[in-house]
Amino acid sequence: MSAPALDTAAWASPWRRYSPGDKVLLSLGLVISALVLPPWPASGLVTAIALGLILGPGRVPPHLLLRAARGPAAFIVLGTVSIAITWRTSGFGPTVTSESLTAAASTLSHAVAGTSAVLLLAATTPMTDLLSWARRRGVPEAVVDVAGLTYRLLFVLLESVSAVRSAQTARLGYTSRRATLRSASGLAAATLTRAFDRARRLETGLAGRGFEGVMRTVGEQQSSSRSFELWTFASLALVVAVSLGVA
Amino acid sequence: MHIAEGYLPPLHAAAWTLAAAPFVVHGARCVVREVRERPESRLLLGAAGAFTFVLSAIKLPSVTGSSSHPTGTGLGAVLFRPPVMAMLGTIVLLFQALLLAHGGLTTLGANAFSMAIVGPWVGYGAYRACSAVGLSFWVGVFAALSLSDLATYVVTSVQLGLAHPDPTGGVLGSIGEFLGIFALTQIPLAVAEGLLGVLVFRILARIAPEELRSLGLRKALDENDENTVTATAQERD
Repeated sequence: MSAPALDTAAWASPWRRYSPGDKVLLSLGLVISALVLPPWPASGLVTAIALGLILGPGRVPPHLLLRAARGPAAFIVLGTVSIAITWRTSGFGPTVTSESLTAAASTLSHAVAGTSAVLLLAATTPMTDLLSWARRRGVPEAVVDVAGLTYRLLFVLLESVSAVRSAQTARLGYTSRRATLRSASGLAAATLTRAFDRARRLETGLAGRGFEGVMRTVGEQQSSSRSFELWTFASLALVVAVSLGVA
Repeated sequence: MHIAEGYLPPLHAAAWTLAAAPFVVHGARCVVREVRERPESRLLLGAAGAFTFVLSAIKLPSVTGSSSHPTGTGLGAVLFRPPVMAMLGTIVLLFQALLLAHGGLTTLGANAFSMAIVGPWVGYGAYRACSAVGLSFWVGVFAALSLSDLATYVVTSVQLGLAHPDPTGGVLGSIGEFLGIFALTQIPLAVAEGLLGVLVFRILARIAPEELRSLGLRKALDENDENTVTATAQERD
């Protein structure tokens, strides 16, 4: 299994040079605008701004964005169908009414806009930058360290999962339901033991280097950009003004 | 079943975040205390978090013909205990939101409440209850994994039903609709995840007894030994 598409996009994005705090402000500002303002035109505007920034200055390749959007799309479609279907007031069975369709369309637009705004942050900011920012914002050192280790180890484990699964597939480990369950349990057990083995080896290595409990890494210094913040406030003001003006 | 960004109204998102906060803060305190007392444990906790994330890359067969992935909440609860899972689960949910676009930022509280808090506590409760009434370790593991999966699915459906009441059936009608639609994948997944858990612990008892001992799960080793002895005796007879 390869690295998550969004992580690949975030490391390559030219927007990495901006401060994570600035991008969190923009992304959360757009998410909250999409949530609290009327769905039309706020959700449309938020979606357009977020996708425009991801594909434009963020330079995220469209195929990576599409790959990342497949997961939330499945939930959004299923959830929207559940809202669109309602129960008959007379008789029995499900039906679709104009009221339920309006509610489903409104939720769909909120969800698409909100997901696009989160994708903007995710596709332009590597996790390590966000963790360093969280540390500077006062999140406990131990929690940030555990999150950082989780991030670093998950790529090793994803590679292990991929290697073990390839070997199982080559040995016809996924040809029947029974074999699949047996192979999946072997895969989970192998992953757990490899995770612990990696952690122990890392511990031994760190102990040899005089590890004293704080695992800071040198990162790129990204200071806040006044022009980025001005653009953020201008975009959010535009969304609010157009939405309230139209509504 | 992660609730996508923008799917919950602002008040609901805030309320679920407030409901999850005490558990996550308690979990964070447990992690901070554990790391202060044993600095090396942060590496094991990091490994546990990565393992929980990677579980979502393992496919399980589903009755509908498709495949799905385990939630890992029950397995995590039995292995690492619910308070730690509240913290680790929230970190994993944040990673899933930002690395896989599963879930969201304003829905993080609601997702943490169902997947990192209720799921692990229900699973761990079932595991302890089975142990208290003298049922086998394997029954406890099956109950923990399948019930934690079902509890997560029920809580998510309640969260969605409360946020989007049905125009005619109200909140209860809406909860019923969400339960009905997601049941198609979640009920077979709960059974498959229960079976997966039993098989995982049987393998771990064989290949990783030290890890199980360090996690306080000697019972898995004892019962696995008993089963092996019984099977050998039957073969001999």
